[in-house]
Amino acid sequence: MTTMALAPPRRGWLIVAGQELRDLWLGGRGLALTLAYTLLLSATTYLVATNSVLNFLEQRESVNLTLQVAVAVGALLVLLTAADALSGERERGSLESLLLAPVERHDLLLGKGIAALSLWLAAFVVSMPYVWFLGRGVGLVGVALVGGFVVGGLLALFLAGLGLLVSSLAGSNRVSLSVSLFLLLAFFAPTQLPAGAQQGWAGDLFIRVDPFSAGLHYLGKVVVDGHGAGQDASWLISPAVAAVVAVLAALGASRFLSLRGGGPS
Amino acid sequence: MTEAPALETHGLSKSFGPLRALDELDLTLPAGAVLGFLGPNGAGKTTAIRIVTTILEPDSGSFTVAGIPHTRPVAIRQRVGVLPESAGYPDRQTGEEFLRYFARLFGHSRESAKAVAGTLLAEMGLAERGGTEIKGYSRGMRQRLGIARALVNEPAVVFLDEPTLGLDPGGQRQVLELIKRSAETRGATVVLSTHLLAEVEEVCTRVVILNRGRVVADGTVAEIVRRAAAPRHARIQVAPEKTGTALDVLQRTRGIEAAANGKPGEVDLILSAGDAEAGATQALRALLEADIAVLGLVLEGGRLSDAFLTMTEER
Repeated sequence: MTTMALAPPRRGWLIVAGQELRDLWLGGRGLALTLAYTLLLSATTYLVATNSVLNFLEQRESVNLTLQVAVAVGALLVLLTAADALSGERERGSLESLLLAPVERHDLLLGKGIAALSLWLAAFVVSMPYVWFLGRGVGLVGVALVGGFVVGGLLALFLAGLGLLVSSLAGSNRVSLSVSLFLLLAFFAPTQLPAGAQQGWAGDLFIRVDPFSAGLHYLGKVVVDGHGAGQDASWLISPAVAAVVAVLAALGASRFLSLRGGGPS
Repeated sequence: MTEAPALETHGLSKSFGPLRALDELDLTLPAGAVLGFLGPNGAGKTTAIRIVTTILEPDSGSFTVAGIPHTRPVAIRQRVGVLPESAGYPDRQTGEEFLRYFARLFGHSRESAKAVAGTLLAEMGLAERGGTEIKGYSRGMRQRLGIARALVNEPAVVFLDEPTLGLDPGGQRQVLELIKRSAETRGATVVLSTHLLAEVEEVCTRVVILNRGRVVADGTVAEIVRRAAAPRHARIQVAPEKTGTALDVLQRTRGIEAAANGKPGEVDLILSAGDAEAGATQALRALLEADIAVLGLVLEGGRLSDAFLTMTEER
């Protein structure tokens, strides 16, 4: 036999991430999503800054609102991309070729997760001038950007893990996207609860447990109430735990990544 | 030193719900062969290929590929090349980019991945289209790109699952020639799963026929045809005006399963399985007794297609 043995790549996740980033950004999908996000953020910021009904908001509240939009929409983009990552390959018939590569399954997930997270990073970079514009003059820009980056980053990690977990187990892309969006709505719904429902120990616990509510509550404390970054850090426990659990669950589920979905085959 | 078999399976079984796709599959393939892996739809060919390439896990049994045990799936994937059945491709990537990506995944450096992609594109006749997006490729070009992808790691064993599916006759011929050439130049073992039996006869040094998840035949084409005791075909030439009479005589002769008009002056025969030579002798004797001069007799070799049908038909 004249064949020559190659060694499997040491950092397969890096190769996968590189290709996924190229496909996402040079293929145009990432740019299109970011453009749509920019238009949405521009409209929101314009209304917040100029509209006679909305501009009763304090400057701090305007910044907070913009950050909330940035975090929520940025996380949504990450979720959509992660939810499509494996079930999409499965549906297009290209997953088998990928599974045939001598790369560990968790490396495939990691590489795809990194590409999905790049959308959050892009969304955050796009939102920076808007936050600067709304928050200039009151010494708020720095703390708002750091707070937004931390909270948005944790929630993006959480949703990337969640999307990849669902995508690796779902039998079809439609199921993956539907389940992921349903879960996103379920996690996001508590943020819209009326103030009365958030009172008392039960309401407090509910908001602290839900990663979205807790994260956005933390942002409000830091940006609107002017608290120090460490003063209300306990509100970050839920997003941090959710991010770690979702990422570990996705990496663990990679062992069951199969051609048909639905677990081991 | 004795070379490890390209593939060895012991009692490999796999079920999908109530359907038993593989049933205690035992198989040994020597290295360096071009193997035709045949069977009717649902015989278990794709399942077997997916198991030995570590895509599926068997319910029971064990296997080695190029001497590597099934307990080391990453090492097996490093040594095999696979063209999956109905493989999909990323439309937005160029052929060259696609091959470079997989070469990198198999451990090539950035530079050698580029070189390998260029070489394989040229070998598959895709050099001029390597820079265009795959969405513009025809089905035949995609299949050739898939074969190139299966070769990026200089595999010891190449599995090609229906590589000619959906191709026109010209495309089929082109792909089969590529497979033959690649096997010869690389010295790799090629496992070719296909329904094109004539091409298997031409390309493959060995054939395995699978039916209902079990091996029902294993050997060279000649061995399988002999073992299958498949009927053989013959053609008898007589004077054109005697064709009708000859046909009547031959239809009544023992040892002949069927006789039919061929071209003027020719009668096509299907001789009974088992002893075709005796059937041919009976036919000659019957014609001579009927006072019909025999101008020629052609006894065809056994056909793989007949053996295939004999071994896989519902029993």
